[in-house]
Amino acid sequence: MLMQLEDVSSYYGKTPILKRIDLNVPKGSCVCVLGRNGVGKTTLVRTIMGLVDRMTGKLSLSGDDLSNSRTDERAKHGIGYIPQGRQILGKFTVRENILLGTFAKKNRTSEIPEMCLELFPYLRENLNRRAGLLSGGQQQQLAIARALAVDPQILLLDEPTEGIQPNIVAEIGETLQMLNKKLGITLILTEQHIKVARKLGDRFVMMDNGRVVEEGEISALTDEVVHRHMTV
Amino acid sequence: MDFTLASFVNALILGLSIGSIFLVAALGLTIIYGTAGVINMAHGEFIMLGAYASYTLQNYLGVPFFLCIPLSFVVVALIGLVIERLLIRYLYDRPLDTLLATWGVSLVLMQGVRLIFGSDPKYIQMPSFLSTNIAAGPISVSIFRVFIFLVGIGLVAAVWWLFYKTEFGIKLRAVTQNKEMAASFGINSGQVYALTFALGAGLAGIAGSLFGVLNIVLPTMGMGYVVEAFLIVVTGGGALLGSILASGVTGEAQSIFAYIFNDTFAQFLVFVLIVIFLRFRPQGLIATGGARR
Repeated sequence: MLMQLEDVSSYYGKTPILKRIDLNVPKGSCVCVLGRNGVGKTTLVRTIMGLVDRMTGKLSLSGDDLSNSRTDERAKHGIGYIPQGRQILGKFTVRENILLGTFAKKNRTSEIPEMCLELFPYLRENLNRRAGLLSGGQQQQLAIARALAVDPQILLLDEPTEGIQPNIVAEIGETLQMLNKKLGITLILTEQHIKVARKLGDRFVMMDNGRVVEEGEISALTDEVVHRHMTV
Repeated sequence: MDFTLASFVNALILGLSIGSIFLVAALGLTIIYGTAGVINMAHGEFIMLGAYASYTLQNYLGVPFFLCIPLSFVVVALIGLVIERLLIRYLYDRPLDTLLATWGVSLVLMQGVRLIFGSDPKYIQMPSFLSTNIAAGPISVSIFRVFIFLVGIGLVAAVWWLFYKTEFGIKLRAVTQNKEMAASFGINSGQVYALTFALGAGLAGIAGSLFGVLNIVLPTMGMGYVVEAFLIVVTGGGALLGSILASGVTGEAQSIFAYIFNDTFAQFLVFVLIVIFLRFRPQGLIATGGARR
């Protein structure tokens, strides 16, 4: 297993959000985290990234215990993060945003990794453009390039297709598939679109009220399962 | 009042000098407030420590004045670093507590210096060529004031270079814009805040070594400068460019009002105008939108 969560709970202030989660993420897999709004999907990726007030239980990556590590230390262990809403730094240029990712890299150079620009030629042509001026789809490309600059073992994506035009959603889906299947980067993504989850995922995790209520191979994500856990 | 072009130009030049003094005093505070959102009430005492550092280096170790300036930066930056590690870092999310704690630190520093050096005034000697004036016809200006102006420009250029042309600058601006995202990409925000606090303190140290020449060195000397420094930072909005503009405009306004009326009324008028300005634009000249936690 690349990543393991054992009996993990997490809190904002004193309020528990995640409740005793166990999760195994095989190396090279793509795990889709599903569930209705507010069930704890975003909190799960924020917990893995160390962005919650408090976490109990054990989180390990490649055998290293990261339970008590700070967010920056987790990033340096090779966890890349693409948050909900992308959160690119709008006042930074495209170049500076990608360079930001390299701070988590072990053998850091001040050059932008070529792969980031090969994947997204638009970014190469606009390196000195202010990132806040890019469209939603271009910002998502930048967020992926920035996370790839970390040289991640595992990539956390929180609703990567949210607020993106349908034609760009397909493009982003293809990019993520390529990262997972060709480059072997393990993905954990939270997703509302079942279609995207079925296309990209190897495994799924269904959440409800801060707990994992169902999980398995993506082939087991039947309409009945979706209906049971995701319809309002 | 007899208006002559020469005396008015003199007032403008003096305004530039006052503005540069404001800027040098406010630069360190701008960085600390703009980046970490800390209202550092001990900033005036960091200036005072810079003056005493220069006085000690010059009088006890025979260090030349020009070397005292960078050494004062180092001494006060180290003191700032220790204070940040021991106290400030636990208070970043508590602005009111930070304000009270730094006020407490200011009292400790002031009394500590009084215990060590006593309350009598000290003097920093400057090289004799700095104590003369440059005269061009009826216009005359002190070389030391020109020196402060040049140091101000140099410090702004150095800070700009640090912010926009170095890796530390990328880290610092990233932490200011979005602390969580910066951490998610391997940046240790605690380390960045500590170094920024030390940098701000060090810049106050440089201000102190210059102001110690301009005025006498006393344990209470920081109190006067901290008010002006806060005015500049608040009027400027916490951004570097804002502080440059605010100190230029405030310095010129004070000098021109003093030329038309007198010094006391000029200060009163400037304060009133700043209050009115902030009533209509509370975010200051240039809003940073940075770390206000």
